[in-house]
Amino acid sequence: MDPTIKDFESASAELEAIVRKMEDGDLSLEQAMELYERGVQLSRFCHARLEEAERRLEILSDRGEVRDAPASMGLTGPDESGKHR
Amino acid sequence: MADLFDIPFEDDPGVATPHSAPARRARRVLTVSELTGGIRDALESGFGELWVEGEVSNCRVWNTGHVYFTLKDQTAQIRSVIFRSAHRYLKFRLEDGLHVVARGRLSVYEQKGEYQLVCEHLDPHGRGALQLAFEQLKKRLHAEGLFDTSRKRPLPALPHKIGIVTSLDGAALRDILKVLGRRHPNAHIVVRPVRVQGEGAAGDVSRGLDAIGRVDGVDVIIVGRGGGAIEDLWAFNEEPVARAIARTRVPVISAVGHEVDVTIADFVADVRAPTPSAAAEMVVAAKDEFCARIDGLRQRLDAAARAGLQRRRARVHQLTSRRGLAGWHARLAVRGRHVAELTHALRRAASVLLVRRARDLQRLRTRLDAQDVRRRVAAVRARLAAADGRLTAVGRRRRDGAQARLASLAARLEALSPLAVLARGYAVCWNADRTAIVRRADAVAPGDHVRVTLEQGELACEVRRTDGPDH
Repeated sequence: MDPTIKDFESASAELEAIVRKMEDGDLSLEQAMELYERGVQLSRFCHARLEEAERRLEILSDRGEVRDAPASMGLTGPDESGKHR
Repeated sequence: MADLFDIPFEDDPGVATPHSAPARRARRVLTVSELTGGIRDALESGFGELWVEGEVSNCRVWNTGHVYFTLKDQTAQIRSVIFRSAHRYLKFRLEDGLHVVARGRLSVYEQKGEYQLVCEHLDPHGRGALQLAFEQLKKRLHAEGLFDTSRKRPLPALPHKIGIVTSLDGAALRDILKVLGRRHPNAHIVVRPVRVQGEGAAGDVSRGLDAIGRVDGVDVIIVGRGGGAIEDLWAFNEEPVARAIARTRVPVISAVGHEVDVTIADFVADVRAPTPSAAAEMVVAAKDEFCARIDGLRQRLDAAARAGLQRRRARVHQLTSRRGLAGWHARLAVRGRHVAELTHALRRAASVLLVRRARDLQRLRTRLDAQDVRRRVAAVRARLAAADGRLTAVGRRRRDGAQARLASLAARLEALSPLAVLARGYAVCWNADRTAIVRRADAVAPGDHVRVTLEQGELACEVRRTDGPDH
């Protein structure tokens, strides 16, 4: 991933700013191209982050330990739940 | 009360008789202690357990944990106390102005000659204790600013980890997991199991909130339970839970499954969900909104870029239609045509050159082939010459004869070279790309190009007519 993009909150904020700037117009062609490229990059980043997390279910015990929940806890996967869509 | 002052003085110690004649001098003198003891007996056993209704005032909590107050109505008052052991069972907070019904007994404090009501229990007058407790806490926290809109934090667009504080075997957890499984299949969830009802539940829930708030990466918390009677939900109306929600460093969604009543936890939470499922939907909705926002921004970005180009195009058009630049297009077209012509000429020249080069190369190759035949002849000659050198016994005559034979052999060999044939006036006819020799007239057709190799050079020919072998 692009090291200049920190997280999606800041990425979406930056994207928002770029869009406003471009909508205001008054940019040189070079500036506009540069901003557009950056904007595309940011929107791709956001979409990528939306899909990248991994499903997990954990239990935080009284002693403050985090461990995986037993399978019996009914963490329904996307396959099983797909029926309801 | 008058009777008390009418007790006669008697000489003989004994029980005072209230109906003695006032004239009798013998009177029984009591000590203060005896008197007070008598009063205590009369009050404590005379009244027994009682209920009394009044307004609380001068309420003070001592550091022993006992609470002293005065119970009064419009014309009278009575000192009252509720000891720590009984006070801790009160759901509500005892404070001035409350109208209560007290259950207790009278007691005399002999050292001070005071009597007071020792309360075993207090109930708010005209409403439930829980309701009162709820109203009191709500008022207090509201005054502290804990419900202020400015304190509400937005939910994260895409949570790293979703913290859940609830009972492990309740319907709430099942419902939340079901929704998340369907709508946000790659969620990372951390559950902190707690008791959500009964004695100690409030402490459990508040400790759970503190603990899960410290887990690295948890950036939104759902706290709650499934629906139930108001008593079952009570932990969520207690101060420890409210305080824990308020001090959590990440947004908290309260999800107490009771659509009608709003709990204190609901007021303090950053977002209130009517049910646990709804809480899960909210977490996911934030993700969906974020998705939609990004898509919207992307569309606007593209539109802005397009609009920018269009503006530029329009500007160019505007410029070219000015007088100074009129005819610009036509001039450019003329130039363009000129360039095209030049390019074409250049290309034609290059192609002619290329053809010539190819032909030169072919010529060289033909000569090389011929040389190869000559070399082979020379080699045979050399070998024969060497063999010749070894002929000693046969003598020179014989050698001369051999030499003559050799010469004719070489000549015959040389005659096999195509070049030698060509030297005799023969020609070889090739197809156009020189890949095959044309041996039959019907291998080519009128209009075909053929190449004819002569002893010196080549001809590029066009077939005008073919005369078959049968002609």
